[in-house]
Amino acid sequence: MAKSEARIQALQGILLLGALAMAVRAGYLQLVKGGHYAQVVARQRTEHRVLDAPRGVIYDRSGTALAASLEQYHVDVAGNQIRSPEAFIAIYRTDIGKRTELLRQALRSGEDFYANGPFTAGQVRRIRGMKGVYLRPIYRREYPSGPLARPLIGALSPDSARGTSGLERFLDSLLQGRPGEAVFIKDAAGRTYESPGRMARAPIRGYDVTLTIDKELQEIAEGGLSAVFKEFTPQRADIIFLNPRTGEVLAAASREVDDAGRPLATASFFQSSFEPGSTAKPFTAAALLSLDRVKPGDQVAPEGGHWKLPLRNGRFRPITDDHPQKVPLSLARTIQVSSNIGIVKFSTRLNPDEHFDALRSFGFGSPTGVEFPAEASGKLYRPDEWRPGEHGPSVAMGYNVEVTPIQLAAAYGAIANDGLLLAPTVIKEIRSPEGKVVYRHEPLVVRRAVSARVAEEIRGFLALSAADSGTGGQAQVKGVVLGKTGTAKLVINRRYSNEHAASFAGIFPAKDPQLVVVVRVEKPHGVYYGGFVAAPLVRRMLSQALSARKTALDRSRLADDQVVQTGARPADSGPPAPRTWVELPLRPVTPRIENRLVPDVVGFSSRAAAASLHRRGFRVRLDGLGSITRTLPEAGDSLAAGKTVTVFANRERP
Amino acid sequence: MSPAPVEHPSDVRWETRLLGVIAATLTVFGIASVYSAASFDAQGGREVLKQLSAAAVGAFALLVVARIDYQRWRGWAWPLLGLTVILLAVLLVPGLGAINRKINGARRWINLPGASFQPSELARFAVVVWAAMMAAKKGDQIRQFKKGMGPVLVVTGFVSLLVLLEPNLSMATILVLLGGVVLFTAGARIGQFMLLFVFVVFLGVGAIMAKPYRFHRAKCFLGLAANCEEQTDWQLNQATKGFAAGRLTGTGFGEGQLKLHYLPEASSDFLFSTVGEEWGFLGVMFLLGMFGVTCWLGFRIAQTAPDPFGQYLATGLTASIGLTALMHMAVNMGLMPTTGLALPFMSSGRSNLMVTLLGVGVLISVGRMRGRAALR
Repeated sequence: MAKSEARIQALQGILLLGALAMAVRAGYLQLVKGGHYAQVVARQRTEHRVLDAPRGVIYDRSGTALAASLEQYHVDVAGNQIRSPEAFIAIYRTDIGKRTELLRQALRSGEDFYANGPFTAGQVRRIRGMKGVYLRPIYRREYPSGPLARPLIGALSPDSARGTSGLERFLDSLLQGRPGEAVFIKDAAGRTYESPGRMARAPIRGYDVTLTIDKELQEIAEGGLSAVFKEFTPQRADIIFLNPRTGEVLAAASREVDDAGRPLATASFFQSSFEPGSTAKPFTAAALLSLDRVKPGDQVAPEGGHWKLPLRNGRFRPITDDHPQKVPLSLARTIQVSSNIGIVKFSTRLNPDEHFDALRSFGFGSPTGVEFPAEASGKLYRPDEWRPGEHGPSVAMGYNVEVTPIQLAAAYGAIANDGLLLAPTVIKEIRSPEGKVVYRHEPLVVRRAVSARVAEEIRGFLALSAADSGTGGQAQVKGVVLGKTGTAKLVINRRYSNEHAASFAGIFPAKDPQLVVVVRVEKPHGVYYGGFVAAPLVRRMLSQALSARKTALDRSRLADDQVVQTGARPADSGPPAPRTWVELPLRPVTPRIENRLVPDVVGFSSRAAAASLHRRGFRVRLDGLGSITRTLPEAGDSLAAGKTVTVFANRERP
Repeated sequence: MSPAPVEHPSDVRWETRLLGVIAATLTVFGIASVYSAASFDAQGGREVLKQLSAAAVGAFALLVVARIDYQRWRGWAWPLLGLTVILLAVLLVPGLGAINRKINGARRWINLPGASFQPSELARFAVVVWAAMMAAKKGDQIRQFKKGMGPVLVVTGFVSLLVLLEPNLSMATILVLLGGVVLFTAGARIGQFMLLFVFVVFLGVGAIMAKPYRFHRAKCFLGLAANCEEQTDWQLNQATKGFAAGRLTGTGFGEGQLKLHYLPEASSDFLFSTVGEEWGFLGVMFLLGMFGVTCWLGFRIAQTAPDPFGQYLATGLTASIGLTALMHMAVNMGLMPTTGLALPFMSSGRSNLMVTLLGVGVLISVGRMRGRAALR
């Protein structure tokens, strides 16, 4: 017996040693290595999943949704958690889908089942919140107003995550919202178990954007495009409506087809420039008036429609009028009948610098800064690149200069707005998800392009032009449309072709203008004159706008329009008759020109610096090339808009 | 050395009472842990109910057996062993279909409608009872190999072989060890044990080499094989990682993630890992302490047992609990190659729980009889 006790002691000792070994091992694993393994395990067994944030809504100016994010769902079913499978299958069959074999199988074996919808909120209403049902929201962009204004709104990447064009792209960071994050516990098979307490960050929806677009006007514009495509089968057409008092773009429509007639996605109203032809003539006229180069009563000979412009090298350049004139041309008459000979003759009174400055003041050659990706800046050559005696006449006729429809609309807006050029905008208001207004558009004066007096005179010319006797007579509505037609040959492969761009730029109504409209039609078939292609379209659209229910037009202010008709009297003889409007003075616009701060552009490229300064309404004089070293006045100084800022660059101009 | 004199019945019985309390505590802790480990499983609720029923049956058996004079087991030893052998043999009969269906590549369960049973767990008990009876009967003859150690080893080896054929290497090893423990306690020669040890090592190596999966696991354990992470070693790695992640205080009851199918047998073969993850080092120390006290009490009862049979019986039963627990823990902490051993009292599995409680009942019965012997 004694031996047995000793042996039991020995056994006890062996087991004790074993227990000690276990304790040491446990201590080593849990206390020494524990921290490391805890991290390893956490990494392996939890999954951070991004919760999509709904994208902000894009509204028209009156609050109609143009693009909205619709929440839809994928449905995940944890087969072993469904309380009553038969009832669930019945609901599933009526609400979600008829095919339930796989679901039934999954429920029977307690496996997971995934139904990839997406299903609408209505479809998942009854199963939402059931035990074992997990809804994975996804967001799809919906367009409640159909294809309306789609080139402007733009498109999203296929996963609806990013804006790839148009405003969706330009405002992407605002519209996107901030995705949330949830932590899921993951099992060995990668299945996740949601635990609501573990939502690390809730998704925040994107900002809502209200555009300046007026849905009805946009519809009218797009209907106009349809009409013009039906009648003239052009390759491209654009229409812009702008409120000249605020710079708000009320409608922007583009349509373009390729050579085979298939539609192309395009936003050419902002992105493609063209040589405007005669629609640019009023700006040369404005320069002449501003600099007092044309006195009342000044006239030039019409030359019977055919004239040879003498060039420096002794040669001649033929200038012709499509509507040969017999009586001497005043400046007003020149615009009214759109005489090339007249405007060329008058334009020789300007030197290149003066001519350039005038057009530059109206915004030619620099982007308007409208909120849109890849806006084209048009083209306006520097005066030192002008071939003397040759370039100027071209520019006066609207050649050798390119504008986008929005630039042309903004420039006409300046004429309508007593000479003040406003920055055009498509964004009226931006609201945070909480409904707080984070941005509201205020009219932004870029600069004074011409004096109010000159603007008024030009409006008189435009009234004549849009009168029955003018080239734009077909645009007339109630006798209160001001406007100018344009017909320009298109440059194809660096040569002027027999294809044309027909255009019309108009102001409506004559008194207290409320709309600027620009129409461009490229490569129309059959007739190609702006007066026959674009002008009638403007008349049709304005008539529609007047009879529309709630466009931005203020009809009460149209009541005494008939009075103005006297201004549409043909002014064949003598000085123009813009004075008609003196008795009905236009109210000064609300925005005032204020002193503003010179931005800090040191270190910018000269191009970027110029763009920055232009945006704030300053003129720019560049000294040198390359990156900017200093400015005069310096950054932070206060200066009136329209004044010149000299920027010094580090390299000498070659 | 003689057994400590026992003066009064009440002195005798505190060990048995404490043993009962510990058994109850471990069983309850076990059921809670099984509940937690199986909670993510669709069948988790059923698992716990099964465990509860086994605990009830086991507790009843314990109470009954504790009141029976353990001397009766001498007479029941042969029939018990016979029953065990028959049951083990049934597992090996081909063509019985559902009754001995393979689960995870092994036939370890006899499935009857409404219940299933693991005969190898019964063998753990039967071998100890039978060996104790034989050793007590042989007395000093045990020191002769032919008359003492040899026959005992042959029978134990036979039962062990049946278990090995299921296959269940770890349980077979335990059976041989338990037989050895009883013989050792009964006074068998150390020299003969040396021979036995060498024999067992050869046998073990042979058994390992016989099956590729065992060989691979052994190589993985020794760090000699590649692609262990993806294959066999996955369980072990996950178990060790999860165990270590418990750190000092654990992730909290029910918060462990091992059971998320990272560990196929989280509630049985790897229950200790689950406990380690959820209760941390403190929980592990608690468990070690509980099993340590169990063994200490068992050996104490053995040392003060009134006769050799009681002594061998108590030692064998105690070793059965202690060795199984140690091996389970060693596997769970990556100290031994993966084997399917349940943690006594705690792992899910009705056979394990019932047989363990039965064993504790016998142990208590031995403890209770000490007083009477002293009074006699």
